[in-house]
Amino acid sequence: MARDLTLGQYYPVESFVHKLDPRIKFIIMTVYIVGVFLVKHIYGFAVVAAFAILSTLISRVPILSVLKSLKGIIFIVIFTAVLNVFFHTEGKVYFTIGKLLITEGGVFFALKMALRLILLVLGTTLLTYTTTPMALTDGLERLMTPLTWIKIPVHDIAIIMSISLRFIPILMEEVQKIMKAQRARGAEFDRGGLVKRAKALLPILIPLFISAFRRADELALALDARCYNATPNRTRYKKLKMHYRDFIAFLAGAAYIVLIVAVNNKFWIPTLTYSFPFI
Amino acid sequence: MSEIINFKNVSYEYRSGENFHRGVIGLNFSIQEGEFIAILGHNGSGKSTLSKLINGFLKATFGEVNVLGINPSDDRRIYELRSQVGMVFQNPDNQMVATMIEDDLAFGPENLGIPREEITERIDWALDIVDMKEYKNKMPNKLSGGQKQRIAIAAILSMRPKILILDESTAMLDPKGRKEVMATIKKLNKEQGLTVILITHYMDEAVEADRVFVLNQGVITVEGTPAEVFKEVRKVRDAGLELPIPSQVCIELISKGYDIPFVLTDEDLVDALIEQKQRKSKQKPGFKFK
Repeated sequence: MARDLTLGQYYPVESFVHKLDPRIKFIIMTVYIVGVFLVKHIYGFAVVAAFAILSTLISRVPILSVLKSLKGIIFIVIFTAVLNVFFHTEGKVYFTIGKLLITEGGVFFALKMALRLILLVLGTTLLTYTTTPMALTDGLERLMTPLTWIKIPVHDIAIIMSISLRFIPILMEEVQKIMKAQRARGAEFDRGGLVKRAKALLPILIPLFISAFRRADELALALDARCYNATPNRTRYKKLKMHYRDFIAFLAGAAYIVLIVAVNNKFWIPTLTYSFPFI
Repeated sequence: MSEIINFKNVSYEYRSGENFHRGVIGLNFSIQEGEFIAILGHNGSGKSTLSKLINGFLKATFGEVNVLGINPSDDRRIYELRSQVGMVFQNPDNQMVATMIEDDLAFGPENLGIPREEITERIDWALDIVDMKEYKNKMPNKLSGGQKQRIAIAAILSMRPKILILDESTAMLDPKGRKEVMATIKKLNKEQGLTVILITHYMDEAVEADRVFVLNQGVITVEGTPAEVFKEVRKVRDAGLELPIPSQVCIELISKGYDIPFVLTDEDLVDALIEQKQRKSKQKPGFKFK
């Protein structure tokens, strides 16, 4: 049912990763993404992949459901890979198609880009699998708090995010209702060509927007009635507490980035440079 | 009892295009602390305008409004006023800010800068009053309309207001939800001593109030206890309202020549009919049904 739907795909199990402070998870996620873009070396990718897989195992989210998230980006991955094969011409030429050269450097570059995209999505998926949308907004708000110094309305942004999250299931339900109402008036949504279908959506969108604005109006009053922005010294009911495990996770993140930098500089295995020049 | 709200000759006008419209005209009344007031009127009669004048959503064009010693037109004290005058609206879905019930209840006190320990206390207290304790860390999506509206009331209670305004808060609910919310409102009024202003178009709800105001085109046409107000049949009907069903039955019976008192509720009607029947059988002792 549309009512049960929440944004993201939180996977409710108890695990080390689930219990981590959202702030730490955000920081590690950032470090992870930086790592993904930093690696130049196939062994570096192994480090990133190992980190992602290990985290997934610890989170007790089935690897298969994390892998499912790749379905949505498969086209983008293939597209970037194919483009990159042709754009990079370096080293040994494998074969030529007209003026296009497929080279050793090109193939490796394409592979790297594809791997990067895949690892990127795997990591971020794990974040949404292990963190509730509420915790995400909460963590983000706390992390952005320093920005209030440069007059960025962090709290307003957090409230906007939280309200959007709350209204997604409500508006979904509304869409269902409007669709039923329009069907009862003889509308057809699943027939005809692309243009016809797009046009059929119009009688859904207009009532949806009207009702959304009406809701926004009442919500604004409700916010005012509850003294929104009454004092700049707003208190917080929920407290985020750092635990031991957050420190451990932080160390893991630090170790990860150090390892990647180390592998990038090839300082254990100097001979590698000669065996695979383009990796 | 002390006076908590006072309107002196209050009018509110607004402009749309070239025309001036009158929201309310020359309102004069005062409300005592702890009273339960029902405001009746059909759509566009100005009942919402009246309530918005109390918590400063609207500013009186003429006249003087005084709520808890504060003038709602005074922007410097507007938050002080709104924390004392809680307002619950029609659609419970449009009043919830957070995805979790306890966070939603925390929103008001957080805005007021109440310390965390006290917020926790207030949340437990408010949920207890509306009888929704076990839903503290649940999501509101799966609740019924009545339950959602009780949460909306609790979210206002957590600010510890002295006055509670319910702007057609029962209009969207099913009969069961309405009953739940009415029971909560009465409990708040009787046990917590909250001053309640209930805006409604349900007569059976107005009957429960201490005093009823009937608004018609921005003017209070009848004012008094429910019994006094509903006796003014013509004025009530002129305002586009119907009497409570028991009263309608009663009037029909009186016009048919039956001698029964004017009643407002189902229970009283039943009592009156029984009494009437007993009296009849006493008058004609020889008469028996076959």
